[in-house]
Amino acid sequence: MKIIKIDKKEWEQGLDKSRKEYHLFGAVKDKDYYLIQALGDKVYPDMESSDTILSPKSVIFPQTEKMLTANLDEAQDNHHIMERVETDYSPRAVLGIKPYDAKAFKILQLNFDTEEFKDPYFCDAYAATTLVGLAVNNPGQFDFSTSVDTGPFDETDLDVLLIDTGNEYLAKVITDKGENFISKCGFDNQTDEKNALETISKLKKKAEKAIVSTVSHDKLNGKTILELYNAPFWDDIAFSCINCGTCTYVCPTCWCFDIQDETKDKSCIRFRNWDTCMSRLFTEHASGHNPREGKTQRVRQRFMHKLKYFPDKYDQGLMCVGCGRCVKHCPVNIDIREICEQMNS
Amino acid sequence: MHTYTEKIQNLAKDVLKQGKAEMVIGFKQGTIPMAANPFVAKNENDADNLIWSSTCGLNLANYLPGIKKCEGKIGIIAKGCDSRNIVTHIVENKIDREKLYIIGLPCTGMVDKKQIALLFDDEITQFSEEGNTLIVKSETKEEKINKQEYLRSNCKTCTHRNPVIYDELVSDLVEEQIIEDQFADVKKIEAMSSEEKWDFFDKLTEDCIRCYACRNACPLCYCPTCFVDESGPQWVGKGQNTDDIKTFHYLRAYHCAGRCTDCGACEEACPMDIKVRNFTRKLNKDSLELFNWEAGLDISQRPPLDTYQPDDPDDFIM
Amino acid sequence: MGNLLEHVGIEKERVHFSWISSAEATKFVDVVKKITEKVRALGPNKKLKKQYN
Repeated sequence: MKIIKIDKKEWEQGLDKSRKEYHLFGAVKDKDYYLIQALGDKVYPDMESSDTILSPKSVIFPQTEKMLTANLDEAQDNHHIMERVETDYSPRAVLGIKPYDAKAFKILQLNFDTEEFKDPYFCDAYAATTLVGLAVNNPGQFDFSTSVDTGPFDETDLDVLLIDTGNEYLAKVITDKGENFISKCGFDNQTDEKNALETISKLKKKAEKAIVSTVSHDKLNGKTILELYNAPFWDDIAFSCINCGTCTYVCPTCWCFDIQDETKDKSCIRFRNWDTCMSRLFTEHASGHNPREGKTQRVRQRFMHKLKYFPDKYDQGLMCVGCGRCVKHCPVNIDIREICEQMNS
Repeated sequence: MHTYTEKIQNLAKDVLKQGKAEMVIGFKQGTIPMAANPFVAKNENDADNLIWSSTCGLNLANYLPGIKKCEGKIGIIAKGCDSRNIVTHIVENKIDREKLYIIGLPCTGMVDKKQIALLFDDEITQFSEEGNTLIVKSETKEEKINKQEYLRSNCKTCTHRNPVIYDELVSDLVEEQIIEDQFADVKKIEAMSSEEKWDFFDKLTEDCIRCYACRNACPLCYCPTCFVDESGPQWVGKGQNTDDIKTFHYLRAYHCAGRCTDCGACEEACPMDIKVRNFTRKLNKDSLELFNWEAGLDISQRPPLDTYQPDDPDDFIM
Repeated sequence: MGNLLEHVGIEKERVHFSWISSAEATKFVDVVKKITEKVRALGPNKKLKKQYN
């Protein structure tokens, strides 16, 4: 394991060097809040930023993503044949991603990148991406990442983990992708591993201890699906829900999408958009029948999927990384932590 | 604790005990600072969870059409704007007046949570209020601020703080605000050139994620299928195309013409802090200027877009 | 309706309302002429024209 010391004064210079090879993404203040954005020339990520409203999932799984095009001009040989659109998959790096947000990509992979099925759009974007995480030294009150098998220093899906030690970052180089990015930045001040690891371990313990928010889900595995599905509390939980898509769109692990075709004159594009199980349309059949007609059914679906169906199917923990975005942004304050406790009790 | 909280709890208990209503829709304390969770109390024990605070900015009238299983009356806590949306529901035949037991709440305004959050670099950990003073704390500092300065913009220009329809009141009526220029914000946009206006609304909607929280938080938006959700025919594209996003916002606004009470629930709900009232405010101004109409004041009045008068303004017809 | 369109930046000369009976052919021609003149003076509309690509 290589650990590089980066003087913060040299950080931006290093990023500029990396731009020759990488498209950079990071948190930028837009109006009054932070969003993950592609960084233009001389734009640097705000490493001190609080959480971005939306998770970084859009870097690899955009809200609207073109997939295929077709030419409808019958005079052309290739008419009506869908062809993959050209997308730029040259290397990109996400800077300062929270370690648990990065872990969320591992969860998305379970859906998009399996032995049997590989979603080319996700896989190509994922392969092109280097995740440069920033350990969370001061977790916020919404952060319950340590309760869901990740945490403020989780390295599971990072290529580099940066640890802020005041005037400098310690960069723990985890993968070859990470190694390449760090060397392209010109950061090469290798530091004594033992000392650095000790510092990191201290900060990690401190951060984990600072997490005030927890959820328990230890009993979920022992309950049957039907027991939870038929539990008496769903109507009460769902009462206040307005069925907007906020929770699913801000979530780093929600992966559902809808495919649309649009045609203009002789050209057609097929693209996909994030979809939300909160919407009635999500499950409406062409016949008009809707298996999730009521809002209680839709609210139950979201929580059952994250906290029961997913863990049962994949045996990889909950479909939640404890970022707290849905808790913070839900317009009516539906709180997944509370619901998880209710399901677990 | 807000002085209304205890009164609401007692009134709700009484209402439930006496069978004046089968349930009471109100708010309970949220799980995070500055959050209130819409809640229905079905018995006296539940009523102990009802609260009031200056963060109860959502519009409870929104929940009325969704209640299907209720033999008796539905009780509802209604501040000024909620009561106006109840009137609108009655006028539009969504619900019978006889079906409701309205606990009116004279309101002194709701706070702008996003503006308060901007006072802090870190997260707010505590929020409480004493009269007109808001006490807001984070890990690093504490602020005592004057509530009137941190009201939501719709509350700043509100002239109907008192409920317009009720069976019982939580407190004495409050004094209504006299607003010198109710539509200064709209006039500012009206003074712009076409290009400036276009750019203003471009910028306004650029971060929209189409979660439809604005629509779903709005008591007016009760269509069984919204035009954006129609698939045969599909009226509007579903991607993140700016013209599709704007089409949604324009058409939603049109559907609120002469109906909007400027309750601010749409902006309150928006996760991206988009000031969507910029669309509906223009229509409210026109309703007032052209038809001398403010929505939801009187259950015996039909709305202007629902009636014809020989003297309706028609100078737009060439 | 025209007011909100104008408010969001569509030039007001692009949107016209008129009331013409099926028997008023000359009025119809008149109105259409006036509209086309006004719109021609503005040039092509670029707003709310969806780009497909």
